Amino acid sequence: MTSNLLTLLVLAPVVGAIVVALVPRGNESAQKITALAVTSAIFLMSLLLVRDFQPTAAMQFVENHPWIPAYGISWKLGIDGLSLWLVILTTLLTPLCLLGSWDSIHERVKEFNVFMLLLEAGMLGVFCALDLFLFYIFWEAMLIPMYFLIGIWGHERRIYAAVKFFLYTMAGSVLMLVAFLVLYREAGVGSFEIAQLLTAPVSPSLQMWLFGAFALAFAIKVPMWPFHTWLPDAHVEAPTAGSVILAGVLLKMGGYGFLRLAIPLFPVAAVKFAPWIGLLAVIGIVYGALVSLVQPDMKKLVAYSSVSHLGFCMLGISALTTTGVVGSVYQMLNHGISTGALFFMVGMLYDRRHTRAIAEFGGIKNVMPWFAALFLVVCLSSIAVPGFNGFVGEFLILIGSWPANRTYVAIASLGVILAAAYILWMVQRVLYGEVTNPKNEALKDLSPRELAVLLPLVALSLWMGVASPSFTRTIEPSVAALLEQVRRGNGGSVLAETPAPAVTVARQ
Amino acid sequence: MNAVDLRPAYPAIIVAVTAVVVLLLQAFAGKGKHGPYVPFSLAGLAAAFLATVMIASSQERGLGSHTGGALVADELALFLEAVILGVALLAVLLSSSYLRATNSERGEHYALLLFSVVGMLGLVAVTEMISLFVALEIMSVALYALCGSRRDQVESQESAVKYFITGAFSSAFLLFGIAMLYGVSGSTSLGRIGSAVTSASDPNHGLVLLGVGLLLVGFGFKIACVPFHMWAPDVYEGAPTTVTAFMAAGVKVAAFGALLRVFGTGLASLADDWRPLVAILAVFSMVLGNLAALAQSSVKRMLAYSSVSHAGYLLAALVAAPRVSAEAVIFYLVGYAAVNLGTFGALSSLARDGREPVTFDHLSGLSRRHPVLAAAFTVFLISLMGVPVSAGFVGKFYLFTAAVGAGYTPLAIVGVLMSVVSAYYYLRVVVHMYMKDAPVEDAWAPVSTTSALALAVSVLVVLGLGIWPAGVLALAHAAAQSLL
Repeated sequence: MTSNLLTLLVLAPVVGAIVVALVPRGNESAQKITALAVTSAIFLMSLLLVRDFQPTAAMQFVENHPWIPAYGISWKLGIDGLSLWLVILTTLLTPLCLLGSWDSIHERVKEFNVFMLLLEAGMLGVFCALDLFLFYIFWEAMLIPMYFLIGIWGHERRIYAAVKFFLYTMAGSVLMLVAFLVLYREAGVGSFEIAQLLTAPVSPSLQMWLFGAFALAFAIKVPMWPFHTWLPDAHVEAPTAGSVILAGVLLKMGGYGFLRLAIPLFPVAAVKFAPWIGLLAVIGIVYGALVSLVQPDMKKLVAYSSVSHLGFCMLGISALTTTGVVGSVYQMLNHGISTGALFFMVGMLYDRRHTRAIAEFGGIKNVMPWFAALFLVVCLSSIAVPGFNGFVGEFLILIGSWPANRTYVAIASLGVILAAAYILWMVQRVLYGEVTNPKNEALKDLSPRELAVLLPLVALSLWMGVASPSFTRTIEPSVAALLEQVRRGNGGSVLAETPAPAVTVARQ
Repeated sequence: MNAVDLRPAYPAIIVAVTAVVVLLLQAFAGKGKHGPYVPFSLAGLAAAFLATVMIASSQERGLGSHTGGALVADELALFLEAVILGVALLAVLLSSSYLRATNSERGEHYALLLFSVVGMLGLVAVTEMISLFVALEIMSVALYALCGSRRDQVESQESAVKYFITGAFSSAFLLFGIAMLYGVSGSTSLGRIGSAVTSASDPNHGLVLLGVGLLLVGFGFKIACVPFHMWAPDVYEGAPTTVTAFMAAGVKVAAFGALLRVFGTGLASLADDWRPLVAILAVFSMVLGNLAALAQSSVKRMLAYSSVSHAGYLLAALVAAPRVSAEAVIFYLVGYAAVNLGTFGALSSLARDGREPVTFDHLSGLSRRHPVLAAAFTVFLISLMGVPVSAGFVGKFYLFTAAVGAGYTPLAIVGVLMSVVSAYYYLRVVVHMYMKDAPVEDAWAPVSTTSALALAVSVLVVLGLGIWPAGVLALAHAAAQSLL
């Protein structure tokens, strides 16, 4: 059974989607329950991965079935330390999204559940695929359910946002597809399997072009400044579940793509491009933070804060040190949890008041004490207060990037301060003070269902803040192997050395 | 004494006989009555399909040396014949309810459709230029008449006249090209032409190139690539929708089949001469086809321009001729035929009382009244965009693999970027179906069982090729091998 666990995980949502599609149209609660049951079962199944995962660099749970033998394409799945927790994040967030949208989606419930399930299949596929062709299939196929989620259940400008999201992402990825084909031709191993392509390095001059094409696709997905313009639209217009999945999982695919494909396949180009990626990351950190400061709309604020947070992830990756990259992977998880929770909570306010304008609120802690408490915790995690998960990630990234470029670290630290400013300012204006707006007087506090959505995320952000070694322990070997690959590809030590091993830092 | 072996012609003969029977049924049905045209047409096509499969499964290959060298029954011919017959079966299924809804059900409609199939079957199996011309004309003349078969509509008349005039024009080019090659080689057989035109130092080389260029122009009209595409939007829009579906699917398969054979065998040795030309046609078709499609307000016109762009994608792979590209082209054609039948078929299945959806607005809110049809339509559009999981994605993947493999990476880059442009206008249909509300009074017809069956088959083919392409790819590979 465990030998086919990943295939089972990837295909179970598809089967679930078919089942939901077959439930009669009138029976909406049956559709919701089926979808929730399927995704919850998938989450429980994915915990088996955690149980059996060995903290080594090797690919685990590997399955390999020939698919299109004429082109050397296979259904090859497997996970390592880079993807393990992203898989878990995906399987966790999907049922929470369904639960969170239980009462806020009234229209076309069946389609909503079908698209959520298909989306989950796509996301899991991206993180598990070990074949370029397979990776691309999932990467692109995922666009369609997301496009529908934004376009059908979104807010006022949903059609614009949906189309922009689709075209932007597709434009980036099609060039990557051409790069796949060139790589396939040049490597000459007659296979699209990543492991095989790694053994046949291409010439350094070609690496530049191919890395560029890959980097563009991933930079749009992350999104890195200046390719981020689709993100505020998509985030703001999407329904809550869409925003959570977008922020929580989809954005992670950009960073993951760099780590899984772009950097190991083109090590020479990666080292050459790294400072520039770092530069864009730092610009993104500061730019995202500054724009967040002036947002009057909570959802927009959280959206731009994602640009800033993802900048940290990219900064850590661009440093190409073990500590930095481990921090980045960790920060991706943190961002998924804390920003996911923030989007949920903004959505809960929106469900009650049908507005997201900060100015409409004030003194919410008086009427919704539970909400206020959890909101504060999530915000503290988002601004990386020690004791919360965000701190571990950002700290690892900053010290990991120090040997690579001190200026970047100095400027990025500014982003940490700015993050505290815009988040706490929002907290102050929304939660504290007197209830000035009479519409806010009768707001109901969180329902048990809403608590059930938020508590796992809050608990995780605390747990990951204090027990980080149990996570970094599994991430680190894969990161070390990745950097070793880069070093070998460059024919020796060109990378900055890490001052202290990541694990010891994380334990402090 | 050598008996003439007619076996390669069996499928065409069966279809031709069926066509005559259907015509006679019309004559005996009496005025104002309808005969059992559909079951007869389906039975004839199915019998021809069966014959094709039987020839393919029998061990003899290279049949046809006894038909005067005009027709062969190699893997390429048999495979494409099966595809064409499949297209025709689905087109007949789609036609029956559409013709009733538009009040134009007549026996000659089916007869003409079958005659045109005869031409297509010939086109993919010919190895000799005069037969090629004859097959092309059989196919085209029947189609001209079909385009004009909605006598109550002036657009239909216009489409028939336009198609006829450009068609006749392109035939002249083709014929002139054949004459040039005959002048050089003294033969109309592809094999002889091939061995006669090999050397570039030939004093007649200029004449050969002229002939090749003229042939390319003639084919260019048939496959509607830029700059020979002007007729396509008007014809696609004006023709009865099921005829458009049949044309868009069938003609593309047949014409590209013939193109593959002529350029892949007879003129293969001149590949270095015609490759740049094909590359230019491909770029122009991809770019202009997609840009023009952006500006359309009629769905049928949009799909017509999109078919121009798809001709461009197909040509892009042809530069890698002859090896990998043939199988990529063949594979793409199968998925593309299913998608074209699907898109136009979906439009036609909504027809009621002589009206049918034409503009994007007509499709607004379709997902509420026809959720299953809208979902099927979406699958077709996704395939046209070239997004997985669909035949279109795998097909484009092979096409561009062929182009990149041959060193034409810029062609692939143009192709994929233009696919992004195309996503914009294909998504417009989805936006209307799923994200806009329907006008109150608009109610399209419920989809008939026969149309539903045809659409379901198309969806299965599109998704099936997207998920499990290996089987058809192997067939396409074998077909491509038979060219060498």
